[in-house]
This record gives sequence, C-alpha cells and structure tokens, in this order.
Amino acid sequence: MKLFDRTNFYYIVFSVIIYVLVGASFYLVVEHVIYQEVEQRLKVERRDFENFVKAHGVWDESCYFVENKIELASLSDTLTPVTEFKDTLLYNRYNNEYVPFREYSFVSQVGGAPYKVTIRKSLIESRTLLKSITGIMMAVLSLGLLVLFLFQRRIARRIWAPFYQTLSRAKSFDLNEGKGLTLTPEEIFEFNELNSVLNKVTDKIARDYTSLKEFTENASHEIQTPLALINSRVEELIQQKNFSDEQMRWIQDIYQSALRLSKLHQALLLLSKIEHGHFFEWETINLADTMTDKLEEFEEIFTHKAITVQFTKTGAFHVKMHPVLADVLVTNLLSNAVKHNHTQGVIDIVSTSNMLQVSNTGNALTTSPERLFERFKKQNQSSASLGLGLAIVKKICESYHLAIQYAFENDMHTLTIRSSGTR
Amino acid sequence: MGLAESIAAHLTKDGFITETVFNYESALEKISLYTYDCVVVDINLPDGIGFDIVETLKKLKASSGIIIISARHALEDKIKSLDIGSDDYLTKPFHLSELNARVKSLLRRRHFGGSNEINFQEIRVNYISRKVFVGETEVTLSKKEYDLLLYFMSNIEVALTKPAMAEHLWGDNIDSADSFDMLYSHIKNLRKKLTDKGSKDYIHSIYGIGYKFGKN
Repeated sequence: MKLFDRTNFYYIVFSVIIYVLVGASFYLVVEHVIYQEVEQRLKVERRDFENFVKAHGVWDESCYFVENKIELASLSDTLTPVTEFKDTLLYNRYNNEYVPFREYSFVSQVGGAPYKVTIRKSLIESRTLLKSITGIMMAVLSLGLLVLFLFQRRIARRIWAPFYQTLSRAKSFDLNEGKGLTLTPEEIFEFNELNSVLNKVTDKIARDYTSLKEFTENASHEIQTPLALINSRVEELIQQKNFSDEQMRWIQDIYQSALRLSKLHQALLLLSKIEHGHFFEWETINLADTMTDKLEEFEEIFTHKAITVQFTKTGAFHVKMHPVLADVLVTNLLSNAVKHNHTQGVIDIVSTSNMLQVSNTGNALTTSPERLFERFKKQNQSSASLGLGLAIVKKICESYHLAIQYAFENDMHTLTIRSSGTR
Repeated sequence: MGLAESIAAHLTKDGFITETVFNYESALEKISLYTYDCVVVDINLPDGIGFDIVETLKKLKASSGIIIISARHALEDKIKSLDIGSDDYLTKPFHLSELNARVKSLLRRRHFGGSNEINFQEIRVNYISRKVFVGETEVTLSKKEYDLLLYFMSNIEVALTKPAMAEHLWGDNIDSADSFDMLYSHIKNLRKKLTDKGSKDYIHSIYGIGYKFGKN
C-alpha cells in the first residue's frame, strides 16, 4: 500500500465517522429543542383549557383559543395517572397520509366528572424544519470535508515529492560505479537528514566495496604470480635430462603441489568473491539449458567412466544469476556426480520449472550429510579433490536464495536445488 | 620479472627471437620503435596497466598478435581484453607449453608463416582443413587426438607434463585422475593411428612427468 493511499484511507475513515457522529448529534439536539418547544405550547393550552372549564363549567369545542384539537373522554378509573407526552400518527383525509402529532394527555374535572383530556399538536412543520436544517448542515459539512481531502492530497504530493525522488535515486544505486549517491539538500529537515544519511552510507558502501575488490584482485595477483613462476621454472627444470628418478619425483611433487595451491587459491578466491557480492549482476538463466551444454562437455568423461546419464527435462528452470556462477554451479554439480560415482554408474538429472536435481550412484557417505557442504570436508581425505566444490555450490545457492538439499535413497546420492518458496 | 625471463627462455628455445621489458614505459618505447609478430602483455605492470599497451598497439595499427596474461580471474578482464582487440587471454598460473601453443596458434591464424601447413618429419597437418597426413596417406583423427597432435607439434622436444596436457584438452574443471586416464587412452590411440600409417613413433613418455614429442 502506498503512503498516499494509506493516509487517504485513514483520512476517509476518520471523516466518515466524524460526519456520522456530527450528523446524528445535530439531529438529536435539534429534535430535542423542537419537542421542548412543542411541549411548552401544549402545557400553555392545558392551562387555557382548565381556566376555561373553571370559568364556564363545561367545555366548548368551538372555543376561540383552540388552535389544536382537544379531545375529551370520560374516565372511570382515576387511579392510573395518565399525564404524559407521546408521539402519534393521525390520518389526514385531505392528503391521504399519516401526519405526526405530539399528544398531551391529562385528567381534568369537567362538570364534576373526571375526563381524560388529550391535546394534539401537529409536528409536520417542525419535522420539515428539522429535515431541511439537517440537510443543509450535512451538505455544508460534506463539501468542507471534500475540499479538505483534495487539499490535503495535493499538499501531501508536494511535500513527499523529494522523498520519492530520493527513493528512485536509491533504487538505481549501482555499486559498480564506485561512488555513493549525491543527493541534494532539501528544505524539509527530515528529508534533508535522510538524504545526508543515504549519501554517507552509500559512499561508505561504495568505498568499502572498491577497496575490497582491489584487495582481492591484488591478493590474487600477488599470490598467482609467484605460483606461475614456480610452475614455469619447474617446467623448465624437467626439460633437463640428468635427473635421477628420485629427483624427478621431488620435482613432480613440487609441481603438483604448486598447481594444487593455485587451484585452491582460485577456489577460495571465488568463494570469498561470492560472499562479498562481487557477482551482483544477473541475467535470467535457464539452468536446464546450462545443464544441456555442460553435459556435452562432460560427455567424454562419461564415456570414459562408462557412466549412463539420463536427463529428464520437464520445464525450464529460470533463475536470476551471474552467468559465470551458473556455469560454476552446474559444472560443480556434475563433476561432483562423476567424482563420487563408480565406473558403470548412473547419473540421473531432472529439471522442472522450479528445481534441478542431480542424482548419482556411489558409495554411502562416511561423513555426516550435514557437513557435506562444509569447506574441505572430503569423503576421502587423501583424494586429489579440493573439497570446495559443494561449498561453492552451497554459497552460490545461498546468495541467490535457492534451497539446496541432499538425500541418499535407493543407493543414489541426490542433490536438489529449488527456487525457495516452492516445495 | 622471473616469469618474463622464463617465458622468453622457453620461446627462444623454440626458435623465436624475443625481447623482454619489465615496465609500461619501456614497453611503449619498444612497440613504437619495432614491429612484433606477437606481444605478450601482463595486465599488472609496476607503472601502468597492460590494457593501455594493447590500446596503443591498436592505435599504431600494428599487425602484432596480442596475448594478455593476468592473475585476475575476473571475467570482466577477459571480456575487456578481447573487446579492446587482444587475441587471447591466459590466466596465471599457466603452463609454458600452453603459452607456446597459443602463440603458435595465433601466428598461424595470422598467416605469418605464409603456409597452411605445419610439418614434422613425415607428419603433415593442414590446419585449415584440419587434415593430417603421414607421407601422402591421410590419418583420420578424433577432435581430441587432433588437438593433442597440434599441441605436440607446437612443443617439439619439450617435456610436457600431464596436468598441462589435460588442461589444454579439457580446461581446468576436470578431475585430474580421470583426465590422466583419458589422456593416456588418447595418446595410445594417436600413437597407434600414426604408426599404423607408417609414421615413426615420436611420442615418448617420461616417467612420472608426462610426454615428449620429438625425434629421440
């Protein structure tokens, strides 16, 4: 819900409540005042009536002051008090409709006998008055609310404009540009604060990012260069012929260790780059397609190890990922499935619209499955593998909010990658 | 510096005339004075960036082939290198034999030799049609066997290590144990196919290290 919608919503709800309350109470007050007035008049007429009866002993229907209808009814039960006001409807034969009256009943002695006297006064004019007063009142009130509402909306738009500008600038903030946001100062104190805080924070982020990137690049350069030198010198050394077999083995050990060190370093560097968000650019990539490409590359090794590969593709698994990482992810999954497989084994790959699953035959795990994704957790500690492949897979999955799961069923190791939120 | 010397020594042994400089300034001087068939540039130089040398070469309209070597594994560097006009990109650490093969392939692509063929004794490879002959008889090789032969012929009389060969054939994301096995069977097949057509066996294995292609 947008900010404007939210404030407008509260404003409207509040206004409607106020509107109803004011309308109702106004109506009640005016009605009360009118009743008071009518009842006052009825009481005056009662006095006139009683005075007339006292003077004349009887009641004359055609009396001069009778503005309202007075009805007499003889009364036998004098104990029940009858003095009361009440509303009633009487039929008007000219208009063919019922007309509201206020009725005043009391007991009076006429010619020595008790009578119930009822005086009625029409409320029709008062009702009309009440209605029109309330109507005008409500119309004025709604007009006022509407004007206020429109005014508030326009003001809010103007006041919040700098905020939305800041928001859109922050959204388009690109770390790769290597500098923070440069938001201009605003008149409104809070927005000004917000802008300067954002300037400061993004500036720091950009600087940290740049220096981190430089550091990893430099570290990489500083380590890889001597390693490259070791390798090239060893390669020159082995061109010589006058080494004993033992010396040759030493040289080979140096060579292989240096190669391994450099691979290890590259893998660790990749891990730290993923962790530090170096690969924040993304494309929409269909991992099923990446898998198809990679299977082609791996074909030779499948043939070599006599591994049967089955790829069931029921949908395109689209992920938003850096293309290099997508490549690394699929490669690591496959080489893992090959590495821990045996000859004439099976690799079963399933791809649907929200998951990619790679299963392979192989010996049961000797380590606990929870530790499978940890760094340097190797099935066979002496093996030539670096023990970083699945750690990298896991890290890639984490940074793109993909869920990864391991299961061992029917002698098959299964790794499943799902887009999170689906099962 | 040691690396540059080492590269130079390796290439010189293969018959190339090499010149080595160790910083940006002297590199600029050299490329504006002389014309080279191939320039190998490191991105990180003590007083500059290798990319600028490539750009200068392009401005000079030099016909030199350019190979960039870098320790930076970043994809952006690779893309940038190729974008500004270098022909190849190698990540440190690399095998000297690999660089040698790349230099030769680059020179072949640019037709510096003037011929579409490379010869070694009775073996003849036409790298346009990708056909291999022993004498006048054609030998049918698989893609990997062809790559392997070309790699051998770019590194004659050079002891090649198994990791270097495996990396040349399959890149670096393959398990070494498997790739050595595969390498072994490719070499066996290549050797058989060549000797079957009457070639002498020029592939010599070096115990524990790898192989060498040459007359003895």
